[in-house]
Amino acid sequence: MLAYYSRIALKSLRRNPMLTSLMIGAIAVGVGVCITTLTVYRLMSGNPVASRNDVLYSVTLDSWDPNRPWAQDHPALPPPELTYPDAQALYASSIPDRKVMMRKAAFVVEAPPKSGVAPFLIEGRTTTKDFFAMFNVPFKYGGGWDQAADDGSQMVVVLSKKTNDKAFGGADSVGQTVRLDGHDFKVVGVLDEWAPTPKFYDMNNGAFDEIEDLYVPFGIGQQFEMQSAGNTNCWRDQDINNFQDFINSDCVWIQFWVELRGQAKATAFQEFIDNYVREQKTLGRFERPLNNHLRHPDEWLKVNEAVQDDNRVLVGLSFMFLAVCLLNMIGLLLAKFLGAAPLVGLRRALGASKSAIFRQHLVEVGVIGLGGGLLGIALAALGLWGVRHLYENYDELTRLDFPMLLTAIGIAVLSGLLAGFYPTWRVCRVQPAAYLKTQ
Amino acid sequence: MEFRPILSAMLRNKTGAILVGLQIALTLAVVANSVSIIMTRAEKIGRPPGIDSENLIFVQSYGFGPNYDQRSTIDDDLRLLRSLPGVVSASPISQIPMSGGGSSTNLGAEQTREKVTINTNHFSIDEHGVEALGVKLVEGRNFTQSEIQFNPDPNNSDFVPFVILNKDAAKAIFGTEHAVGKTVYDLSHSAIVIGIMDNMLGSWVGWDKLTQVMLTPRIEAGPLARYVVRAQPGRRDALIADIEQKLSGTNPNRAITYVRPHQFYKERSYRADSRMVAFLSVLIGLMVSVTALGIVGLASFHVSVRRKQIGTRRAVGARRVDIIRYFMLENWMLTTGGVIAGSVLAFAFGQWLSSAYSLPRLPPSYVAGGVVVLWILGQLAAFLPARRAAAIPPAIATRTV
Repeated sequence: MLAYYSRIALKSLRRNPMLTSLMIGAIAVGVGVCITTLTVYRLMSGNPVASRNDVLYSVTLDSWDPNRPWAQDHPALPPPELTYPDAQALYASSIPDRKVMMRKAAFVVEAPPKSGVAPFLIEGRTTTKDFFAMFNVPFKYGGGWDQAADDGSQMVVVLSKKTNDKAFGGADSVGQTVRLDGHDFKVVGVLDEWAPTPKFYDMNNGAFDEIEDLYVPFGIGQQFEMQSAGNTNCWRDQDINNFQDFINSDCVWIQFWVELRGQAKATAFQEFIDNYVREQKTLGRFERPLNNHLRHPDEWLKVNEAVQDDNRVLVGLSFMFLAVCLLNMIGLLLAKFLGAAPLVGLRRALGASKSAIFRQHLVEVGVIGLGGGLLGIALAALGLWGVRHLYENYDELTRLDFPMLLTAIGIAVLSGLLAGFYPTWRVCRVQPAAYLKTQ
Repeated sequence: MEFRPILSAMLRNKTGAILVGLQIALTLAVVANSVSIIMTRAEKIGRPPGIDSENLIFVQSYGFGPNYDQRSTIDDDLRLLRSLPGVVSASPISQIPMSGGGSSTNLGAEQTREKVTINTNHFSIDEHGVEALGVKLVEGRNFTQSEIQFNPDPNNSDFVPFVILNKDAAKAIFGTEHAVGKTVYDLSHSAIVIGIMDNMLGSWVGWDKLTQVMLTPRIEAGPLARYVVRAQPGRRDALIADIEQKLSGTNPNRAITYVRPHQFYKERSYRADSRMVAFLSVLIGLMVSVTALGIVGLASFHVSVRRKQIGTRRAVGARRVDIIRYFMLENWMLTTGGVIAGSVLAFAFGQWLSSAYSLPRLPPSYVAGGVVVLWILGQLAAFLPARRAAAIPPAIATRTV
């Protein structure tokens, strides 16, 4: 029966090729535009550590200026980063199962003199050892470093896959040395492909940047007196005359995360940081009201507005566009179906039931929806190709993956059926007698 | 005119008319608001940078190792840069204007917490900086070589004795008063304003204090060193290659991390805005085409089902032009109904956008413009089917039943 209906549908569609291609085309561009904006939106709103969302927390303390909040337009938000003394104090706590303090730092890499490669600057991160385990960072060779390396600020380094490909041709470089800022660092690990999007662990320094090129123990930055390569924000008027002054200042520049398994630990740690801040208040710091937060990654991404307003507006506009495409299709279908009403009248008079007519037309609508959906996916691929040219370094944002393909087909068929339902219903209500009379 | 018969024909097939009307209404709402967003972004991108953006090149060097010396590196680099053919001027500079990275300080005309609130972008340059950036001094004087400060400790918080403000910063701090010779304060330092320059843009293109800029006479401590090089018109790209080649290998204790035109930063900072402009333009184009094609399709269809009536009308004396006028008028009435609903929808949507996403209010002129465009578009779209209708021979009335 379905084969018969499909044959009727195709015949009917072929009878009026311009109308048919208009309808398929309208659904296709509507779906194409929606899938394009949705893909970008979905990747921006994704949570790259969803599997560990329940145990991870970003830690923020409100150490900011008593006279004005950190963000004028979001007065309840504390700064996203900590001062060095506060990070040290929190890191000393034994409540968290894991903890990490870290910051961005730039390093000059020197290739062996015989290679002829000029020294170049790369972006690194100084961090404590739990970074890799906490954030599920995949390793290709070796692994992270141990407590002793953190304690002694040992010169060990974990390379990103990209860096290892560039410097060692992708070979297992564990045990080799890399010369950074005039010192030899021993490679202990090489990461596998890793592209957390958004880069949740450091939203304040390029939320959609690639990961760092290499990672070294946190203490190295202080030992080398390295300035932060990320944003450093200060408010208090302090005389800073050397690196020690800077480290002890109220400038915020360190990202801090903890892993707390179980609500009891989360409560205990919240209490710990609140008590720490109360204690600091007696020393004249933290003049703002108590405003310390432990936030899960999903909440953290939300307060940091990973999804920009522009993207929301675009998704909204795209769906309004899809609505126009659908209205267009309903109008055309209705005209077409009602135009063929005499034929339907004849068929009804010859014994076709209402439901048979309904099913026949629904198949025709489904064919249009499916055709539009498939064409729409092709258009979305084209749209994403265009978007890739508009976003630099955003390849990650513009992949059309399997769930998105399913969504595209889903949107197309659903909107096709939605658009087809009313005209189909109308044509079923045709009174055979009315048409038989005039014919 | 045939308003009445057309209207009653429409009322007999309400759904069809409502569908087209709704489609036109939605199109108007989306197009008017999209154009409004595009215009806002285009205006933002089009603001004059106030510096000689087209001819500027920025160079960054990064020192490392115990033998690196910031001051001598900068002196050597500047000597080399200034000697290159095609260079108008070169200066060290602490930050790159409009790049999204920079420094800002609160300033005021008095040293009190209440007064020191004027957030100002600042750039450290030497005595060549004003010429190298291509900003124009309108009052007072430039820095002299002996006034350029340098402290080799990167963590020092020294200030400078003299500053140049741009007009917007001077106005924000001193109001209408004459600023040259006055003192500006941050919370622990003060400096005398020696010059006022024309407006230039600061570091963050999305910041509302972008237009408040201060120049300070100072060479920053290492290991990072940046230079601004102003090329003679037309020689920028050749000069970039030249600088890359000449600077590499002059100093084993540093890496040249980039030599880039200012255009690079300008484009990068405005990328989100140009993206929005590009996307919305495509959306408007598609939407208008879909709506127009929809009108063509529907009108053609109406023509084909009304062949017999048209033939009959022609047979009883209607001229071709009457048939065309009928269809054009029908379309105009449909479009008019659509744009009336669309105007309401456009303002409601605009209101929601401006409250939910703090976008500027929708100017009524865009809606008016959209109405006119849709009227014309509707008439154009209806013309082809209408002409085809007019070509239907009167004889058709006599054929078949």
